[in-house]
Amino acid sequence: MTTAWHAAEDLALRYADGSLPEADAWSLEKHLETCTGCATRVSAAVRATAAGAELAEIRGSVLTAATTRPEEARGSDPCGSAARTRPAPTAPRRTPRLEPALWALGPALRGTWLLALLSVTIGALLLDHAAGYAATRTLLLTIAPVVPVSGVALSYGPHADPLHEITAATPSGGLRLALTRTAAVLGVSVPALTLTGAALPASGAPGAAAWLLPGLALTLGSLTLASYVGCRTATAVVAGGWLAAVLVPAVAAPGGPLTTRLAGRLATCFDGVQPGWAAAAVVCAALLAARRGAYDHLENR
Amino acid sequence: MTGLRVRHRGTVALDSVDLTLGTGVHGLLGPNGAGKTSLIRVLATVARPSAGRVELLGRDTAGRRALGEVRARLGYLPQEFGYYPGFTVREFVAYVAWLKELPAAGTPAAVERAVARVGLADRADAKVRTLSGGMVRRLGVAQAIVNEPDLLLLDEPTAGLDPEQRVEFRELLRELGASTTVVVSTHLVEDVAAACTEVTLLDAGRVAYRGTPGALAALGETSGGPGDHPVERGYTAALRAHRATEAPR
Repeated sequence: MTTAWHAAEDLALRYADGSLPEADAWSLEKHLETCTGCATRVSAAVRATAAGAELAEIRGSVLTAATTRPEEARGSDPCGSAARTRPAPTAPRRTPRLEPALWALGPALRGTWLLALLSVTIGALLLDHAAGYAATRTLLLTIAPVVPVSGVALSYGPHADPLHEITAATPSGGLRLALTRTAAVLGVSVPALTLTGAALPASGAPGAAAWLLPGLALTLGSLTLASYVGCRTATAVVAGGWLAAVLVPAVAAPGGPLTTRLAGRLATCFDGVQPGWAAAAVVCAALLAARRGAYDHLENR
Repeated sequence: MTGLRVRHRGTVALDSVDLTLGTGVHGLLGPNGAGKTSLIRVLATVARPSAGRVELLGRDTAGRRALGEVRARLGYLPQEFGYYPGFTVREFVAYVAWLKELPAAGTPAAVERAVARVGLADRADAKVRTLSGGMVRRLGVAQAIVNEPDLLLLDEPTAGLDPEQRVEFRELLRELGASTTVVVSTHLVEDVAAACTEVTLLDAGRVAYRGTPGALAALGETSGGPGDHPVERGYTAALRAHRATEAPR
Protein backbone atom coordinates (compact mmCIF):
# COMPACT_ATOMS: atom_id res chain seq x y z
CA MET A 1 0.00 0.00 0.00
CA THR A 2 1.31 3.45 -0.82
CA THR A 3 0.22 6.64 0.85
CA ALA A 4 1.04 10.17 -0.10
CA TRP A 5 1.79 11.13 3.52
CA HIS A 6 5.00 10.19 5.29
CA ALA A 7 6.47 11.09 8.65
CA ALA A 8 8.94 13.97 8.35
CA GLU A 9 12.21 13.94 10.32
CA ASP A 10 10.98 16.52 12.89
CA LEU A 11 7.78 14.52 13.46
CA ALA A 12 9.87 11.43 14.15
CA LEU A 13 12.06 13.40 16.57
CA ARG A 14 9.06 14.86 18.41
CA TYR A 15 7.59 11.35 18.65
CA ALA A 16 10.88 10.10 20.07
CA ASP A 17 11.22 12.78 22.75
CA GLY A 18 7.58 12.46 23.70
CA SER A 19 6.50 16.01 22.77
CA LEU A 20 4.08 14.86 20.08
CA PRO A 21 0.39 15.10 21.18
CA GLU A 22 -1.11 11.72 21.96
CA ALA A 23 -3.60 11.75 19.06
CA ASP A 24 -0.82 12.50 16.55
CA ALA A 25 1.36 9.80 18.10
CA TRP A 26 -1.38 7.23 17.64
CA SER A 27 -2.04 8.12 14.01
CA LEU A 28 1.70 8.00 13.39
CA GLU A 29 1.86 4.52 14.97
CA LYS A 30 -1.03 3.41 12.74
CA HIS A 31 0.87 4.62 9.70
CA LEU A 32 4.03 2.82 10.82
CA GLU A 33 2.21 -0.48 10.64
CA THR A 34 2.19 -0.27 6.86
CA CYS A 35 5.23 1.90 6.09
CA THR A 36 8.67 0.38 6.56
CA GLY A 37 10.45 3.59 5.55
CA CYS A 38 8.83 5.71 8.24
CA ALA A 39 9.13 2.89 10.78
CA THR A 40 12.89 2.76 10.23
CA ARG A 41 13.17 6.55 10.61
CA VAL A 42 11.11 6.65 13.82
CA SER A 43 12.90 3.60 15.19
CA ALA A 44 16.27 5.29 14.65
CA ALA A 45 15.04 8.51 16.29
CA VAL A 46 13.78 6.65 19.35
CA ARG A 47 16.97 4.68 19.70
CA ALA A 48 18.96 7.91 19.65
CA THR A 49 17.27 9.13 22.85
CA ALA A 50 18.53 8.41 26.38
CA ALA A 51 15.54 6.17 27.02
CA GLY A 52 16.37 4.30 23.81
CA ALA A 53 19.83 3.40 25.05
CA GLU A 54 18.41 2.25 28.35
CA LEU A 55 15.72 0.20 26.65
CA ALA A 56 18.25 -1.42 24.32
CA GLU A 57 20.25 -2.48 27.37
CA ILE A 58 17.17 -3.95 29.06
CA ARG A 59 16.05 -5.67 25.88
CA GLY A 60 19.52 -7.14 25.45
CA SER A 61 19.49 -8.68 28.90
CA VAL A 62 15.93 -9.96 28.47
CA LEU A 63 16.78 -11.50 25.10
CA THR A 64 19.85 -13.17 26.53
CA ALA A 65 17.77 -14.60 29.33
CA ALA A 66 14.96 -15.67 27.01
CA THR A 67 17.10 -17.21 24.29
CA THR A 68 19.78 -18.97 26.32
CA ARG A 69 17.46 -20.88 28.61
CA PRO A 70 15.55 -22.82 25.96
CA GLU A 71 18.86 -23.96 24.46
CA GLU A 72 20.07 -25.25 27.82
CA ALA A 73 16.80 -26.98 28.53
CA ARG A 74 16.58 -28.46 25.06
CA GLY A 75 20.01 -30.00 25.44
CA SER A 76 18.75 -32.11 28.31
CA ASP A 77 15.44 -32.93 26.64
CA PRO A 78 15.66 -33.72 22.95
CA CYS A 79 11.95 -34.49 22.68
CA GLY A 80 11.11 -30.84 22.21
CA SER A 81 8.79 -30.70 25.20
CA ALA A 82 11.53 -28.90 27.05
CA ALA A 83 9.48 -25.78 27.50
CA ARG A 84 6.90 -27.57 29.62
CA THR A 85 9.38 -28.91 32.13
CA ARG A 86 11.60 -25.84 32.18
CA PRO A 87 11.56 -23.90 35.45
CA ALA A 88 10.40 -20.31 35.42
CA PRO A 89 13.13 -17.97 34.14
CA THR A 90 12.73 -15.66 37.11
CA ALA A 91 10.64 -15.80 40.23
CA PRO A 92 7.60 -13.54 39.75
CA ARG A 93 8.38 -10.19 41.32
CA ARG A 94 4.83 -9.99 42.51
CA THR A 95 2.20 -12.67 42.39
CA PRO A 96 -1.09 -11.62 40.76
CA ARG A 97 -3.33 -9.96 43.28
CA LEU A 98 -6.49 -11.87 42.42
CA GLU A 99 -7.27 -15.42 41.49
CA PRO A 100 -7.75 -15.63 37.72
CA ALA A 101 -11.20 -17.13 38.31
CA LEU A 102 -12.22 -13.86 39.90
CA TRP A 103 -10.96 -11.87 36.90
CA ALA A 104 -13.50 -13.76 34.84
CA LEU A 105 -16.13 -11.73 36.66
CA GLY A 106 -14.40 -8.51 35.66
CA PRO A 107 -16.42 -7.07 32.78
CA ALA A 108 -19.72 -8.13 34.35
CA LEU A 109 -19.28 -5.88 37.30
CA ARG A 110 -17.64 -3.04 35.47
CA GLY A 111 -18.97 0.25 34.25
CA THR A 112 -22.49 0.90 33.14
CA TRP A 113 -24.30 -2.04 34.66
CA LEU A 114 -22.93 -1.53 38.17
CA LEU A 115 -23.71 2.16 37.83
CA ALA A 116 -27.28 1.31 36.80
CA LEU A 117 -27.69 -1.04 39.75
CA LEU A 118 -26.41 1.64 42.13
CA SER A 119 -28.72 4.29 40.72
CA VAL A 120 -31.73 1.95 40.99
CA THR A 121 -31.05 1.17 44.67
CA ILE A 122 -29.98 4.66 45.73
CA GLY A 123 -32.72 6.25 43.60
CA ALA A 124 -35.34 4.03 45.26
CA LEU A 125 -34.14 4.91 48.77
CA LEU A 126 -34.06 8.63 47.95
CA LEU A 127 -37.51 8.50 46.37
CA ASP A 128 -38.88 6.94 49.53
CA HIS A 129 -37.01 8.81 52.26
CA ALA A 130 -36.43 12.21 50.71
CA ALA A 131 -39.48 12.53 48.46
CA GLY A 132 -41.78 10.40 50.62
CA TYR A 133 -43.11 8.52 47.59
CA ALA A 134 -45.18 5.66 49.03
CA ALA A 135 -45.25 3.29 46.03
CA THR A 136 -41.46 3.03 45.63
CA ARG A 137 -41.34 -0.68 46.38
CA THR A 138 -43.90 -1.37 43.63
CA LEU A 139 -41.66 0.38 41.12
CA LEU A 140 -38.55 -1.39 42.43
CA LEU A 141 -40.20 -4.82 42.15
CA THR A 142 -41.34 -4.02 38.62
CA ILE A 143 -37.82 -3.46 37.36
CA ALA A 144 -35.92 -5.80 39.72
CA PRO A 145 -36.18 -8.94 37.51
CA VAL A 146 -34.83 -6.95 34.56
CA VAL A 147 -31.64 -5.94 36.40
CA PRO A 148 -29.86 -9.34 36.41
CA VAL A 149 -31.10 -10.00 32.86
CA SER A 150 -29.50 -6.78 31.64
CA GLY A 151 -26.38 -7.69 33.62
CA VAL A 152 -26.09 -10.89 31.57
CA ALA A 153 -26.50 -8.87 28.35
CA LEU A 154 -23.64 -6.59 29.36
CA SER A 155 -21.22 -9.30 30.43
CA TYR A 156 -21.13 -12.08 27.87
CA GLY A 157 -20.94 -12.38 24.11
CA PRO A 158 -19.25 -10.62 21.18
CA HIS A 159 -21.18 -7.39 21.76
CA ALA A 160 -20.37 -7.11 25.46
CA ASP A 161 -16.92 -8.64 25.95
CA PRO A 162 -13.96 -7.01 24.18
CA LEU A 163 -11.99 -10.22 24.64
CA HIS A 164 -14.64 -12.43 23.08
CA GLU A 165 -12.65 -13.33 19.94
CA ILE A 166 -9.85 -14.75 22.11
CA THR A 167 -12.29 -16.24 24.63
CA ALA A 168 -14.22 -18.05 21.89
CA ALA A 169 -11.17 -20.20 21.08
CA THR A 170 -10.66 -21.40 24.67
CA PRO A 171 -12.17 -24.44 26.38
CA SER A 172 -13.68 -22.33 29.20
CA GLY A 173 -15.05 -19.58 26.98
CA GLY A 174 -18.47 -21.17 26.49
CA LEU A 175 -21.23 -21.85 29.00
CA ARG A 176 -18.74 -22.03 31.88
CA LEU A 177 -17.76 -18.39 31.46
CA ALA A 178 -21.37 -17.32 30.82
CA LEU A 179 -22.48 -18.98 34.07
CA THR A 180 -19.54 -17.55 36.02
CA ARG A 181 -20.51 -14.07 34.95
CA THR A 182 -24.22 -14.66 35.53
CA ALA A 183 -23.40 -15.83 39.05
CA ALA A 184 -21.43 -12.63 39.61
CA VAL A 185 -24.33 -10.52 38.36
CA LEU A 186 -26.80 -12.35 40.60
CA GLY A 187 -24.41 -12.27 43.56
CA VAL A 188 -24.37 -8.49 43.46
CA SER A 189 -27.91 -7.66 42.34
CA VAL A 190 -29.88 -10.11 44.52
CA PRO A 191 -28.74 -8.79 47.92
CA ALA A 192 -28.68 -5.18 46.74
CA LEU A 193 -32.23 -5.18 45.36
CA THR A 194 -33.78 -7.38 48.07
CA LEU A 195 -32.30 -5.36 50.96
CA THR A 196 -33.37 -2.12 49.29
CA GLY A 197 -36.88 -3.52 48.84
CA ALA A 198 -37.01 -4.58 52.49
CA ALA A 199 -36.03 -1.07 53.58
CA LEU A 200 -39.04 0.38 51.74
CA PRO A 201 -42.59 0.43 53.19
CA ALA A 202 -44.86 -2.27 51.73
CA SER A 203 -47.92 -0.07 50.99
CA GLY A 204 -49.76 -2.79 49.11
CA ALA A 205 -46.76 -4.14 47.15
CA PRO A 206 -45.70 -7.81 47.37
CA GLY A 207 -42.87 -8.83 49.74
CA ALA A 208 -39.31 -7.66 49.09
CA ALA A 209 -38.15 -11.22 48.27
CA ALA A 210 -41.07 -12.00 45.95
CA TRP A 211 -39.02 -11.17 42.83
CA LEU A 212 -36.23 -13.68 43.54
CA LEU A 213 -37.66 -16.76 41.82
CA PRO A 214 -39.08 -14.79 38.87
CA GLY A 215 -35.72 -13.01 38.53
CA LEU A 216 -33.85 -16.33 38.55
CA ALA A 217 -36.27 -17.90 36.06
CA LEU A 218 -36.03 -14.94 33.68
CA THR A 219 -32.22 -14.92 33.92
CA LEU A 220 -31.98 -18.64 33.16
CA GLY A 221 -34.58 -18.16 30.43
CA SER A 222 -32.40 -15.45 28.86
CA LEU A 223 -29.37 -17.76 28.88
CA THR A 224 -31.41 -20.57 27.29
CA LEU A 225 -32.83 -18.29 24.61
CA ALA A 226 -29.31 -16.91 24.04
CA SER A 227 -28.17 -20.36 22.93
CA TYR A 228 -30.48 -19.90 19.93
CA VAL A 229 -30.39 -16.19 19.12
CA GLY A 230 -27.38 -14.78 21.02
CA CYS A 231 -27.15 -12.91 24.31
CA ARG A 232 -28.14 -9.45 23.13
CA THR A 233 -31.38 -10.44 21.39
CA ALA A 234 -32.34 -12.96 24.07
CA THR A 235 -31.99 -10.53 26.96
CA ALA A 236 -33.85 -7.81 25.05
CA VAL A 237 -36.74 -10.20 24.34
CA VAL A 238 -36.94 -11.46 27.94
CA ALA A 239 -36.60 -8.03 29.61
CA GLY A 240 -39.02 -6.43 27.14
CA GLY A 241 -41.43 -9.33 27.55
CA TRP A 242 -41.46 -9.01 31.35
CA LEU A 243 -41.99 -5.25 31.32
CA ALA A 244 -44.79 -5.57 28.75
CA ALA A 245 -46.46 -8.37 30.72
CA VAL A 246 -46.50 -6.23 33.86
CA LEU A 247 -47.06 -2.72 32.54
CA VAL A 248 -49.55 -3.19 29.69
CA PRO A 249 -52.33 -4.86 31.76
CA ALA A 250 -51.67 -2.42 34.63
CA VAL A 251 -52.08 0.60 32.35
CA ALA A 252 -55.09 -0.91 30.59
CA ALA A 253 -56.86 -1.92 33.82
CA PRO A 254 -59.76 0.35 34.90
CA GLY A 255 -60.02 2.40 38.09
CA GLY A 256 -57.69 3.59 40.85
CA PRO A 257 -54.29 5.31 40.65
CA LEU A 258 -51.71 3.71 38.33
CA THR A 259 -49.40 2.60 41.17
CA THR A 260 -52.28 0.72 42.85
CA ARG A 261 -53.11 -1.05 39.61
CA LEU A 262 -49.40 -1.84 39.14
CA ALA A 263 -49.20 -3.26 42.67
CA GLY A 264 -52.23 -5.40 41.90
CA ARG A 265 -50.68 -6.63 38.67
CA LEU A 266 -47.41 -7.50 40.47
CA ALA A 267 -49.37 -9.41 43.10
CA THR A 268 -50.91 -11.47 40.27
CA CYS A 269 -47.45 -12.16 38.82
CA PHE A 270 -45.75 -12.98 42.14
CA ASP A 271 -48.14 -14.14 44.86
CA GLY A 272 -49.46 -17.67 44.67
CA VAL A 273 -47.57 -18.47 41.47
CA GLN A 274 -44.13 -18.84 43.08
CA PRO A 275 -44.16 -22.64 42.53
CA GLY A 276 -44.78 -21.87 38.86
CA TRP A 277 -41.70 -19.61 38.75
CA ALA A 278 -39.64 -22.30 40.51
CA ALA A 279 -40.77 -24.86 37.94
CA ALA A 280 -39.95 -22.45 35.12
CA ALA A 281 -36.45 -21.95 36.56
CA VAL A 282 -35.88 -25.72 36.74
CA VAL A 283 -37.13 -26.23 33.17
CA CYS A 284 -34.90 -23.42 31.88
CA ALA A 285 -31.89 -24.85 33.74
CA ALA A 286 -32.50 -28.28 32.22
CA LEU A 287 -32.92 -26.79 28.73
CA LEU A 288 -29.76 -24.75 29.21
CA ALA A 289 -27.80 -27.86 30.19
CA ALA A 290 -29.07 -29.58 27.05
CA ARG A 291 -28.12 -26.56 24.93
CA ARG A 292 -24.62 -26.07 26.42
CA GLY A 293 -22.98 -27.09 23.16
CA ALA A 294 -24.41 -24.01 21.44
CA TYR A 295 -22.25 -21.83 23.72
CA ASP A 296 -19.14 -23.30 22.09
CA HIS A 297 -20.07 -21.45 18.90
CA LEU A 298 -21.88 -18.29 19.89
CA GLU A 299 -19.51 -16.04 17.95
CA ASN A 300 -21.76 -14.96 15.11
CA ARG A 301 -24.82 -14.11 17.15
CA MET B 1 2.22 -33.74 17.07
CA THR B 2 -0.32 -34.77 14.46
CA GLY B 3 -0.99 -32.73 11.37
CA LEU B 4 -4.33 -31.25 10.58
CA ARG B 5 -6.68 -31.46 7.67
CA VAL B 6 -9.22 -28.87 6.59
CA ARG B 7 -11.98 -29.20 4.09
CA HIS B 8 -14.18 -26.25 3.84
CA ARG B 9 -16.77 -25.76 1.15
CA GLY B 10 -19.73 -23.75 0.11
CA THR B 11 -18.95 -20.41 1.73
CA VAL B 12 -18.13 -17.23 -0.08
CA ALA B 13 -15.01 -16.64 2.00
CA LEU B 14 -13.38 -20.00 1.39
CA ASP B 15 -14.21 -22.45 -1.34
CA SER B 16 -13.05 -26.05 -1.60
CA VAL B 17 -9.99 -25.42 0.52
CA ASP B 18 -8.19 -28.65 1.23
CA LEU B 19 -5.07 -28.38 3.35
CA THR B 20 -2.88 -30.60 5.43
CA LEU B 21 -0.44 -28.84 7.72
CA GLY B 22 2.33 -30.45 9.73
CA THR B 23 5.02 -29.19 12.12
CA GLY B 24 6.71 -25.99 11.00
CA VAL B 25 5.86 -22.38 10.21
CA HIS B 26 3.22 -22.02 7.52
CA GLY B 27 2.86 -18.63 5.91
CA LEU B 28 -0.57 -17.64 4.68
CA LEU B 29 -0.31 -15.03 1.93
CA GLY B 30 -2.92 -13.44 -0.26
CA PRO B 31 -4.59 -10.19 -1.25
CA ASN B 32 -6.96 -8.50 1.19
CA GLY B 33 -10.25 -10.40 1.25
CA ALA B 34 -8.67 -13.61 -0.01
CA GLY B 35 -9.93 -15.53 3.02
CA LYS B 36 -6.82 -15.61 5.23
CA THR B 37 -8.68 -14.46 8.35
CA SER B 38 -11.65 -16.73 7.58
CA LEU B 39 -9.33 -19.72 7.34
CA ILE B 40 -7.54 -18.84 10.58
CA ARG B 41 -10.85 -18.37 12.41
CA VAL B 42 -12.00 -21.81 11.24
CA LEU B 43 -8.69 -23.33 12.38
CA ALA B 44 -9.09 -21.53 15.73
CA THR B 45 -12.52 -23.23 16.09
CA VAL B 46 -14.10 -19.78 16.44
CA ALA B 47 -15.98 -19.94 13.13
CA ARG B 48 -17.60 -23.11 11.86
CA PRO B 49 -17.41 -24.06 8.20
CA SER B 50 -20.81 -24.32 6.53
CA ALA B 51 -19.62 -27.49 4.85
CA GLY B 52 -16.61 -29.74 5.04
CA ARG B 53 -14.63 -31.30 7.82
CA VAL B 54 -12.01 -29.82 10.12
CA GLU B 55 -9.62 -32.16 11.85
CA LEU B 56 -7.18 -30.52 14.27
CA LEU B 57 -4.40 -32.27 16.19
CA GLY B 58 -5.87 -35.58 15.02
CA ARG B 59 -9.35 -34.85 16.41
CA ASP B 60 -12.55 -34.00 14.56
CA THR B 61 -13.75 -30.74 16.09
CA ALA B 62 -17.43 -31.53 15.52
CA GLY B 63 -17.58 -33.37 18.86
CA ARG B 64 -17.90 -31.29 22.07
CA ARG B 65 -15.35 -33.27 24.02
CA ALA B 66 -12.78 -33.21 21.23
CA LEU B 67 -13.42 -29.49 20.76
CA GLY B 68 -12.59 -28.75 24.40
CA GLU B 69 -9.41 -30.79 24.25
CA VAL B 70 -8.30 -29.17 21.00
CA ARG B 71 -8.99 -25.67 22.35
CA ALA B 72 -6.82 -26.35 25.40
CA ARG B 73 -3.90 -27.02 23.02
CA LEU B 74 -4.55 -24.05 20.73
CA GLY B 75 -3.01 -20.62 20.65
CA TYR B 76 -4.83 -17.90 18.73
CA LEU B 77 -3.93 -14.29 18.05
CA PRO B 78 -6.89 -12.62 16.31
CA GLN B 79 -6.31 -9.85 13.78
CA GLU B 80 -8.18 -7.49 16.07
CA PHE B 81 -8.83 -8.05 19.73
CA GLY B 82 -9.99 -5.93 22.61
CA TYR B 83 -8.79 -5.97 26.18
CA TYR B 84 -9.84 -4.86 29.62
CA PRO B 85 -7.89 -1.61 29.99
CA GLY B 86 -7.54 -2.01 33.76
CA PHE B 87 -5.71 -5.32 33.49
CA THR B 88 -1.94 -5.43 33.74
CA VAL B 89 0.06 -7.38 31.17
CA ARG B 90 0.55 -10.18 33.68
CA GLU B 91 -3.14 -10.30 34.67
CA PHE B 92 -4.24 -10.39 31.03
CA VAL B 93 -2.03 -13.36 30.21
CA ALA B 94 -2.96 -15.16 33.46
CA TYR B 95 -6.65 -14.65 32.67
CA VAL B 96 -6.24 -16.33 29.27
CA ALA B 97 -4.27 -19.13 30.99
CA TRP B 98 -7.30 -19.64 33.25
CA LEU B 99 -9.62 -19.73 30.21
CA LYS B 100 -7.33 -22.35 28.67
CA GLU B 101 -7.61 -24.40 31.86
CA LEU B 102 -3.92 -24.42 32.72
CA PRO B 103 -3.24 -25.97 36.14
CA ALA B 104 -3.30 -23.15 38.69
CA ALA B 105 0.03 -24.20 40.20
CA GLY B 106 1.95 -23.78 36.95
CA THR B 107 0.20 -20.61 35.79
CA PRO B 108 2.48 -17.92 37.31
CA ALA B 109 5.60 -19.52 35.78
CA ALA B 110 3.89 -20.00 32.40
CA VAL B 111 2.80 -16.35 32.42
CA GLU B 112 6.31 -15.08 33.20
CA ARG B 113 7.76 -17.24 30.44
CA ALA B 114 5.24 -16.12 27.81
CA VAL B 115 5.67 -12.44 28.71
CA ALA B 116 9.48 -12.74 28.59
CA ARG B 117 9.44 -14.51 25.22
CA VAL B 118 7.72 -11.57 23.54
CA GLY B 119 10.04 -9.07 25.26
CA LEU B 120 7.48 -7.52 27.60
CA ALA B 121 9.05 -8.66 30.89
CA ASP B 122 9.91 -5.10 31.83
CA ARG B 123 6.29 -4.06 31.31
CA ALA B 124 4.65 -7.01 33.09
CA ASP B 125 3.03 -4.78 35.71
CA ALA B 126 1.99 -2.02 33.29
CA LYS B 127 -1.70 -1.50 32.57
CA VAL B 128 -2.63 -2.68 29.08
CA ARG B 129 -4.03 0.76 28.20
CA THR B 130 -0.58 2.32 28.62
CA LEU B 131 0.99 0.05 25.96
CA SER B 132 1.69 1.13 22.39
CA GLY B 133 0.08 -0.61 19.41
CA GLY B 134 3.13 -2.81 18.81
CA MET B 135 3.28 -3.81 22.47
CA VAL B 136 -0.42 -4.78 22.48
CA ARG B 137 0.34 -6.96 19.45
CA ARG B 138 3.17 -8.67 21.37
CA LEU B 139 0.86 -9.07 24.36
CA GLY B 140 -1.52 -10.84 21.97
CA VAL B 141 1.27 -13.23 21.02
CA ALA B 142 2.08 -13.80 24.72
CA GLN B 143 -1.49 -14.84 25.54
CA ALA B 144 -1.48 -17.15 22.50
CA ILE B 145 1.68 -19.03 23.59
CA VAL B 146 1.00 -19.14 27.36
CA ASN B 147 -0.20 -22.76 27.18
CA GLU B 148 2.74 -23.89 24.99
CA PRO B 149 0.23 -24.70 22.21
CA ASP B 150 0.63 -27.55 19.75
CA LEU B 151 -1.16 -25.47 17.14
CA LEU B 152 -0.49 -21.75 17.03
CA LEU B 153 -2.57 -19.44 14.81
CA LEU B 154 -1.34 -15.90 14.32
CA ASP B 155 -3.35 -13.44 12.24
CA GLU B 156 -1.09 -10.55 11.15
CA PRO B 157 1.31 -10.87 14.12
CA THR B 158 3.91 -8.48 12.68
CA ALA B 159 1.53 -5.57 12.04
CA GLY B 160 2.63 -2.65 14.20
CA LEU B 161 6.08 -4.02 15.02
CA ASP B 162 9.13 -1.95 14.14
CA PRO B 163 11.80 -3.56 11.93
CA GLU B 164 13.98 -4.60 14.87
CA GLN B 165 11.06 -6.17 16.73
CA ARG B 166 10.01 -7.91 13.54
CA VAL B 167 13.45 -9.52 13.22
CA GLU B 168 13.23 -10.70 16.83
CA PHE B 169 9.71 -11.94 16.28
CA ARG B 170 10.77 -14.05 13.27
CA GLU B 171 13.43 -15.60 15.49
CA LEU B 172 10.67 -16.52 17.97
CA LEU B 173 8.57 -17.93 15.10
CA ARG B 174 11.40 -20.19 13.94
CA GLU B 175 11.92 -21.37 17.51
CA LEU B 176 8.21 -22.14 17.96
CA GLY B 177 7.99 -23.81 14.54
CA ALA B 178 10.65 -26.35 15.49
CA SER B 179 8.22 -28.32 17.64
CA THR B 180 4.70 -27.05 16.80
CA THR B 181 2.47 -26.23 13.88
CA VAL B 182 2.43 -22.46 13.42
CA VAL B 183 0.12 -20.79 10.92
CA VAL B 184 0.90 -17.12 10.25
CA SER B 185 -1.15 -14.87 8.03
CA THR B 186 0.73 -11.86 6.76
CA HIS B 187 1.02 -9.56 3.80
CA LEU B 188 4.71 -8.97 4.34
CA VAL B 189 6.70 -11.21 2.02
CA GLU B 190 9.87 -10.61 4.09
CA ASP B 191 8.21 -12.44 6.99
CA VAL B 192 7.50 -15.41 4.76
CA ALA B 193 10.96 -15.50 3.21
CA ALA B 194 12.68 -15.23 6.59
CA ALA B 195 10.62 -17.37 8.92
CA CYS B 196 8.33 -19.78 7.06
CA THR B 197 9.00 -23.36 6.06
CA GLU B 198 6.00 -23.42 3.74
CA VAL B 199 3.80 -20.90 1.96
CA THR B 200 0.12 -21.14 1.10
CA LEU B 201 -1.15 -18.47 -1.22
CA LEU B 202 -4.89 -17.80 -1.11
CA ASP B 203 -6.86 -15.91 -3.71
CA ALA B 204 -10.63 -15.33 -3.66
CA GLY B 205 -11.17 -18.16 -1.20
CA ARG B 206 -9.15 -20.73 -3.08
CA VAL B 207 -5.63 -22.07 -2.70
CA ALA B 208 -3.61 -20.47 -5.48
CA TYR B 209 -0.20 -21.87 -4.64
CA ARG B 210 1.53 -24.11 -2.12
CA GLY B 211 5.26 -24.64 -1.75
CA THR B 212 8.38 -23.55 0.06
CA PRO B 213 9.44 -19.89 0.11
CA GLY B 214 12.45 -20.96 -1.98
CA ALA B 215 10.23 -22.51 -4.65
CA LEU B 216 8.04 -19.39 -4.71
CA ALA B 217 11.14 -17.20 -5.13
CA ALA B 218 12.40 -19.48 -7.93
CA LEU B 219 9.02 -19.20 -9.64
CA GLY B 220 9.38 -15.42 -9.47
CA GLU B 221 12.82 -15.57 -11.07
CA THR B 222 11.77 -17.83 -13.95
CA SER B 223 8.42 -16.29 -14.81
CA GLY B 224 9.46 -12.71 -14.05
CA GLY B 225 6.45 -11.32 -12.20
CA PRO B 226 6.68 -7.71 -11.02
CA GLY B 227 8.06 -7.02 -7.53
CA ASP B 228 11.09 -5.84 -5.54
CA HIS B 229 11.91 -9.08 -3.78
CA PRO B 230 12.27 -12.61 -5.23
CA VAL B 231 9.38 -13.91 -3.10
CA GLU B 232 7.31 -10.87 -4.07
CA ARG B 233 7.89 -11.65 -7.75
CA GLY B 234 6.94 -15.26 -7.06
CA TYR B 235 3.81 -14.07 -5.27
CA THR B 236 2.57 -12.01 -8.22
CA ALA B 237 3.58 -14.68 -10.74
CA ALA B 238 1.73 -17.41 -8.80
CA LEU B 239 -1.35 -15.22 -8.43
CA ARG B 240 -1.41 -14.45 -12.17
CA ALA B 241 -0.93 -18.09 -13.08
CA HIS B 242 -3.76 -19.08 -10.73
CA ARG B 243 -6.11 -16.42 -12.09
CA ALA B 244 -5.33 -17.43 -15.66
CA THR B 245 -6.35 -21.03 -14.97
CA GLU B 246 -9.43 -19.99 -12.93
CA ALA B 247 -10.76 -17.53 -15.55
CA PRO B 248 -12.07 -20.02 -18.17
CA ARG B 249 -14.29 -21.75 -15.58
